[in-house]
Amino acid sequence: MGGVSIAVAVALTSIGAQARPARAKVVVGGTSTPPPRAARKAQPVPAGCPRLRALCCSGDEACVRPGPARALLLSLGALAGAGAAGILFGLGDRLTNADAATLLVGGGALAGAGALLGIVAGRALPDSSALPERVRRETIGVDIRGSGTSVADERKPPMMSLRAAPTWWFADGRSRLRWLLEIGGWAGTAQDTDPRPQAAPSRAGATTRPVTLEQRRLAMGMAFDLAVALPYPVLRRSARLGRVELRWRPEFQYRREWLDLHGVSRIVERTMLLPLSVGLRWHVSPRQRFTFYVGPRFDVVSFARPDGRGIARGRPNVAPLYGEAWYDIDFAFTEHPRRDHRPRRAMVVGMLSLGYVHSRFDGRGFNFGPVIGFLGPVHMEWTTRIRPVGSRTAFQAAVGAVVGNGLAVTGTLGVSLPDLHSKGRR
Amino acid sequence: MKLLRNSALLLATNLAPAACQQAECSNPDYGNPDCRVLAENELARLGTPGGVELRFQPPGADLTGSWIAGGHFRQIAPDRVRARVAGPGSFAISIEAGGPGSAPIVIELANVDPAAIVSVGPPGAELELPAPTSGATVRDIAIDFADGPVVWIRGRRPCPSRFSLAFTADIQTNPGQFARIAERLREESRAAAATDAPLVGLVIAGDLAEAARDDEYEAVAEILQGLPIPTAVTAGNHDIFRPLHPQFNRNFGPGNYTFDVCDAHVAMLDSGSGAIARSVMARLPEFLDRGDARYLLAVMHHPPHPGTTGAGWSREDMAQILLAELALNRADLIVAGHNHALHDFPGIRIGDVGLHEVIVGTAGALQGTGTPRYGYLRVTFGDGVSACFVEVPPAGYDRAANKPLRTLDYCDD
Repeated sequence: MGGVSIAVAVALTSIGAQARPARAKVVVGGTSTPPPRAARKAQPVPAGCPRLRALCCSGDEACVRPGPARALLLSLGALAGAGAAGILFGLGDRLTNADAATLLVGGGALAGAGALLGIVAGRALPDSSALPERVRRETIGVDIRGSGTSVADERKPPMMSLRAAPTWWFADGRSRLRWLLEIGGWAGTAQDTDPRPQAAPSRAGATTRPVTLEQRRLAMGMAFDLAVALPYPVLRRSARLGRVELRWRPEFQYRREWLDLHGVSRIVERTMLLPLSVGLRWHVSPRQRFTFYVGPRFDVVSFARPDGRGIARGRPNVAPLYGEAWYDIDFAFTEHPRRDHRPRRAMVVGMLSLGYVHSRFDGRGFNFGPVIGFLGPVHMEWTTRIRPVGSRTAFQAAVGAVVGNGLAVTGTLGVSLPDLHSKGRR
Repeated sequence: MKLLRNSALLLATNLAPAACQQAECSNPDYGNPDCRVLAENELARLGTPGGVELRFQPPGADLTGSWIAGGHFRQIAPDRVRARVAGPGSFAISIEAGGPGSAPIVIELANVDPAAIVSVGPPGAELELPAPTSGATVRDIAIDFADGPVVWIRGRRPCPSRFSLAFTADIQTNPGQFARIAERLREESRAAAATDAPLVGLVIAGDLAEAARDDEYEAVAEILQGLPIPTAVTAGNHDIFRPLHPQFNRNFGPGNYTFDVCDAHVAMLDSGSGAIARSVMARLPEFLDRGDARYLLAVMHHPPHPGTTGAGWSREDMAQILLAELALNRADLIVAGHNHALHDFPGIRIGDVGLHEVIVGTAGALQGTGTPRYGYLRVTFGDGVSACFVEVPPAGYDRAANKPLRTLDYCDD
């Protein structure tokens, strides 16, 4: 090979993913000498998975038929969304617990949209074997999200938070527990003006209207996300439709609001308790996943007594159901050897996520026409992970948007450190 | 460093005044609740072609310098103005001549209880007008400025210690059924007038129309005009989603206001956008200040505590702040609609206070298959607050077609 050596690297195995295929990596030592055309042609590249035939991706331990799997997801999503909408219109709002139907409308629509996006991605970039490493929640990161305001004299600061997500793997190598932590708040004081024409400017230099509302927010959240992979196939009929994981994620979210209501100070604490959120992740293809969580929600609202005698603590009230649905698609950027056959200095992967969150706890809801107050926000996010060759640390950056009561732009920067007890991970 | 630089950049774009900023509602979008606040306050004053300035004022006001969204004016002829008072109870209107020799005008005062005492005259020298004998909620008042350039119209409703209010919401596509409810209210009003507990008003918690069209509002206004009691209305999501014009406000006036009737202070909040305006949130302590009133009620379209009905606020953060403010002020009852059904939540624990909320979206809007439950909530004030539901079944039923809720009874009569 004259100065060119071939090294074979077996990548880490992720939960629910199949055993990684042996991948060839071209390492150039010394001077770079392009190999002859025939040798170039013979270099291994990942084989695509036929979408409609029950064939395995090369090297994967389990076979998946992405085409039928996505068609099934699309059908289930359409059935759930249309069925729930039909129930809502047919039975009307008389359903005492109609929130389950609105959750199904949002989740079903996301499943359908995700499956369609997956079909397009599967055709544009042929379905292939699972990536040796894919984007996951960063171990430590900073997140910022905000929409700003174009109203003079008003401020709408972005929400900034520090996030952590250490992960611990169980001995079976297929189950893990992720501890999700978030702490942050609005990066400043929100200000709102009084638009009434009779409201006179209250301060010198005011260009338009007096500021009558000031608000600051502290946000904290914590969750344990337990994921257990089911045996594959779990049923004979489920063979080739993709792996499934079961999930349980007890969670709480806490917000403390400091308000100045036209000169009157208030402190309000809001807590969302999600003790029984259970979910499922379906590996629709080796590079595409559909995930959902659903569970009861309990809200606690407390407030500071005006006489300064501390906080009047509330008790949990039954709140709307909580739910999330996500469709993730992996993209590989360094899968193929470089054209100049130089060694790659880093492995780069990306992930496109489309999500629906059935909660308006932070004031974002997706409304259209007169459909106001039923649905939660829609999320879109692109994440890129860069891992320098040989490094135990990967770097992640994400940009996205949240659609709901306007548009918020999101950005995340973080690092991914090795998981705990991950040696036995399969 | 990169992280810090990026964060600072994003902060700067959010916090720094930008050249493209403009005052709220410079380009009106009436889907924005703050733009409706602007509209409802603009509609609460009027300058006539003759230079006369009319303004709704707080009931106890003596000065004409400012105004409140206590109703709305409409010029219906060069010398005639229609003034619709927003709700039952006390009100005040100031009328200021444009100069010497201002032409007289006629005020068509609408939505005023026939039992209300209305007085007219210069400040401090208002004279009571004779009560109308027709039982209508509209009366004409001629203003000639003979006694001075400023004339006040003030109204108040004398009350016994016991009284009741009716609540409903969500008429939308079915004004025909709402007309049946109005007929039942007429009967109840006549019967109650002979007792010591009169019915002093009807409160509608939004969704008067399906598509916020003028013809829909005219049909509802016609029904309301036939009632012998005043009504208070606020906007729902179906009243505001066409953002080019404030159709709801043009037809019915404000969605955010308070009224004091008898011993009750009622705060009406426009939650049509799934949230109240931020400027209204700033004024919640003012809205929920019951003053001398014994009872405090809050009425809005979207229930701040939706339970699992699926019909809540789009901004749950604001809903929970409102609940905290209601608990701080020890509100006696929250009434909402949006969900086309009758739901009772008697023990919502906010802080150390238990709040009571009733969803009464039963004024006619589609309820799907099954026998619909139409009607209104009757709330009686006396020794405390008691609520019961009056079912007004649709045509084809000769009696109540549904059963009471576990925690909310049907009224006996």
